[in-house]
Amino acid sequence: MKRTTLAAIALAVTAGLGLTGCAGAAGPAEPKAAEGKTRLTVSVWNYEGTPEFKALFDGYEAANPNVDIEPVDILADDYPQKVTTMLAGGDTTDVLTMKNVIDYSRYANNGQLQEINGVVDKVGKDKLAGLDAFDMDGKYFAAPYRQDFWLLYYNKDLFKAAGVDDPKDLTWDQYTALAKKLTTTGADGKKVYGTYHHIWRSVVEAISAAQNGKDQTSGDYGYFEDQYNTALDLQKSGATLDYGTAKSQKTSYRTMFETGQTAMMPMGTWYIAGILQAKKDGKTNVNWGLAPMPQKNDDGKVTTFGSPTAFAVNKNAVHSDEAKKFIEWAAGEEGAKAISKIGVVPALQDDAVKDAYFKLDGMPTDDLSKKAFTPDATALEMPVSDKSAATDKVLNQEHDLIMVGEKSVTDGIAEMGKRVKSEVLGQ
Amino acid sequence: MTNMAEDLKAEAPFLGTRITEAAEDRRRTDRKRSPREQKKRTANVIIYGVLVVLVVALMVPFIWMLSSSLKENNQVLTVPIQWIPSEFVWSNYTDIWTRIPMMGYLQNSLYLAVVITCLQVLTGSLAAYGFSKVRFPGRDVLFLCYIGTIAVPWQAYMVPQYIMMQQLGLTNSFNALILLQAFGAFGVFLMRQYYMTIPDELCEAARIDGLSEYGIWARVILPLSKPALASLALLTFVNTWNDYMGPFIYLTSNRLWTVQLGLRSFVGQFDAEYAMIMTGSVISVIPILIIFLIGQRYFIQGIATSGMKG
Amino acid sequence: MTTETITQVPAPVHSRGNRKQARRNTLIGWTFILPNFLGFLAFTLIPVVAAFALSFMEWTSFSAPKWVGLANFQRMFASDSFWIALRNTVVYALGHVPLTMALALILAMLLNRKLKGIGFFRVAIFFPYITSLVAVAVVWNMLFSPDSGPINQFLHSIGIANAPGWTSSSDWALPAVIITSVWRDMGYYMVLYLAGLQAIPTELYEAAEVDGASAWQRFWNVTIPSLRPTTFFVVVMLTVSSFKVFDLIVVMTGGGPGRSTTVLSQLIYQEGIGEGKFGYSSAISLVLFIIVLTVTVLQFKIQQRRER
Repeated sequence: MKRTTLAAIALAVTAGLGLTGCAGAAGPAEPKAAEGKTRLTVSVWNYEGTPEFKALFDGYEAANPNVDIEPVDILADDYPQKVTTMLAGGDTTDVLTMKNVIDYSRYANNGQLQEINGVVDKVGKDKLAGLDAFDMDGKYFAAPYRQDFWLLYYNKDLFKAAGVDDPKDLTWDQYTALAKKLTTTGADGKKVYGTYHHIWRSVVEAISAAQNGKDQTSGDYGYFEDQYNTALDLQKSGATLDYGTAKSQKTSYRTMFETGQTAMMPMGTWYIAGILQAKKDGKTNVNWGLAPMPQKNDDGKVTTFGSPTAFAVNKNAVHSDEAKKFIEWAAGEEGAKAISKIGVVPALQDDAVKDAYFKLDGMPTDDLSKKAFTPDATALEMPVSDKSAATDKVLNQEHDLIMVGEKSVTDGIAEMGKRVKSEVLGQ
Repeated sequence: MTNMAEDLKAEAPFLGTRITEAAEDRRRTDRKRSPREQKKRTANVIIYGVLVVLVVALMVPFIWMLSSSLKENNQVLTVPIQWIPSEFVWSNYTDIWTRIPMMGYLQNSLYLAVVITCLQVLTGSLAAYGFSKVRFPGRDVLFLCYIGTIAVPWQAYMVPQYIMMQQLGLTNSFNALILLQAFGAFGVFLMRQYYMTIPDELCEAARIDGLSEYGIWARVILPLSKPALASLALLTFVNTWNDYMGPFIYLTSNRLWTVQLGLRSFVGQFDAEYAMIMTGSVISVIPILIIFLIGQRYFIQGIATSGMKG
Repeated sequence: MTTETITQVPAPVHSRGNRKQARRNTLIGWTFILPNFLGFLAFTLIPVVAAFALSFMEWTSFSAPKWVGLANFQRMFASDSFWIALRNTVVYALGHVPLTMALALILAMLLNRKLKGIGFFRVAIFFPYITSLVAVAVVWNMLFSPDSGPINQFLHSIGIANAPGWTSSSDWALPAVIITSVWRDMGYYMVLYLAGLQAIPTELYEAAEVDGASAWQRFWNVTIPSLRPTTFFVVVMLTVSSFKVFDLIVVMTGGGPGRSTTVLSQLIYQEGIGEGKFGYSSAISLVLFIIVLTVTVLQFKIQQRRER
């Protein structure tokens, strides 16, 4: 029985060790602010994989040697959940990055953020794209530093091989016809799709709302109909990978485009940085270009949608003033330059920044690509209100049913309206 | 035949707990059955056949994982599935150690899993003795209370719990997770159920021999419950090792991160590096395999109650 | 004999005694339970009770909670999403619990023997549980693929004309999820049965054999009764985990198509930390708790009656 006693003692010792402290922590050491420096904490997601943060922090530290920025690194997947939990516990992180406007509205409406009208005024209200989203009855609780919007990526080689012109000033009908024409099956049996629609509902709904000038939280969704018919037509004719397969196989849009499996792809500008990196690393040799999103009307005007990313100051911030100074820098010209250098689209969009952007190594420099970069109007992907999250959920579920063909377009749209009205708007 | 198990238990006179002696007994009885050996051998062949088919069916997703870990990232999620990489990217297995501090993450995971498992096994088996072999008022209600809380999803109370931990100053440390997970009801419940199968006559005889209750737990019950201890340790280890949400909420500093958090850091806002995730997942399975191979040796019939032999 | 009324568990002889003895037992019992109970009380029980209290309040986590009485429950019972999630959860449990239990027991019986390389096979059966969920989801979704998937090709080949659409159909997504989860979890519960089987004295089998019992009779009259405590544990844990199922569904179907595989814990997560309605999400978890507790107490009583 001695062994048992020994085992029990060993257990007790381990247990004791366990409670004496974080003896086992073995990751990289905690960065400590140097003597006399202000340590500014900023919540970020996926620090290693999102180089814009490092670019901003390095730039700011170089300009302000008395500040040490410490990123609070949170996983991208459940970023809002973690931030919410931390804030509930009274967390004192200085700057909070707003991943999307829905979370922003929640934090701002609940008094978790400081008003920063002063910062916004200094940067210049008219200069910041997407600023409207943050306007809450004249008060701003965050300032955007980055603005992504949607455009059409296309594979120049596949276009050339099919002998068709670049996708210039397309309407949705022309786009559909073009996608069908570009769909081929290669000699090796490998299928090339004319286009690839990712499974996000925005591909259908947000673009439709933007080009029809409608509000997605209204509870009336008749205007989605044309766009759904287009999407389903593409899917039925095999010109795009069908939704069910894409969803269940967790198809990666990057794989589709970078391996030449699709000739066109509507996608956000965030992918520019990704594709530049992939080409630089030799992971793909796709010959790509940018075009404006296909349009509802053929009046030559380009309307697309996008969503801003912003910095805000925590109500419980330790260094409120330093935090505001940082945001002013990051949303302003200096910050814009720093992130456009790595292919990220800044919210501050003037000609100087845009020119610098197209000088990036590997960027397509043709006129069409440049035109794609200056849409006439960029609507907000999803309006900001306290109903946005709940509406988003309902629209997602019904989008799913329409796209797998369980519900007809009209039934699905009717159900969306009915559910949003009863579950969200309380009518 | 009403209930043979219990009838026999009642009949079996208690002799002692000399385990080795009994095991030898068994070996002797095994040897003398040579006419049956033939039959047994054919049975074994059939069993092997069944097992091999089964194993293949169970391993398919793991094989996909392995194959994905040897691909370029943009070759992983293809339609249709490509089982054999067009080009084997062995460098994934060397890159991952520099892309993220994988070694540190492994150490953190190991530390957490070992401490939590030890505490869970120790306190769980103690409490289980109280719940199964000692009778006192309110015992069963308290026990149901334990089981009841298992039924509440963590998502429902993680925020109140976090606020409490924050006030105690325990967030962003291993201690928070250890305290949360080491005293769960799972271990108590598992061990209690196992102790119920150990005949009370054993405890009774030990009492007559003059052992205290603690002595009975340490010298009679614990040695007899090795298979249950092994399975509790194994399952607790695996669950702690694979836990994502707990460490995600409680460990903020990168230096405290576990493997599961480290692997999720390959998931970006709009896309994910699945090749790296699969590489890391394959690596993180290895410690579990080692623990399992050690633990499963305790699942050998005949050790537990061979002392009962009359 | 005060203690006799409290429990029906077979009584150790020593507890038959006077009040002093009973008090002594209480003391001893608590000293055993205390180390675990203190941790359990502080870090699980108190937050759980706090969460239940929240179900009668409105709380966004940013400000102080506000008492709203039964409003959360009224809203819940009037909500389609709640009833759909409840139905899905119950159907999932009804499929998942018996199938996993039966297969886990069969596997444990199969692997509870001394064979060369048995360790390898035991590990292999545990493998699905430790394979990355993404891999599980991708491969099973491929197997379930409506047109080109091997499962439907097999169904076509045996003459089933309109094979189910599995994860891309509202009617078949839940069965598909159940199949995958049984496949994934059976190794986990096999480990528990494997441990339980070790507690059965070989002498019982030998005695049964002497009595001329067939293999089936031995299984039915020795194995099953001896495994009763383990089975109780497995059934309760399976029920609990079925009612709490979250990860697999999120990764495999995301609750879709539509709401056809949305379950309660997903609703709790979305409404609570997702949308900041913590009172409402607590109300849902209170209902979930009551359902599971009822099932557990029922099983507890049945088990105690059998043991008497």
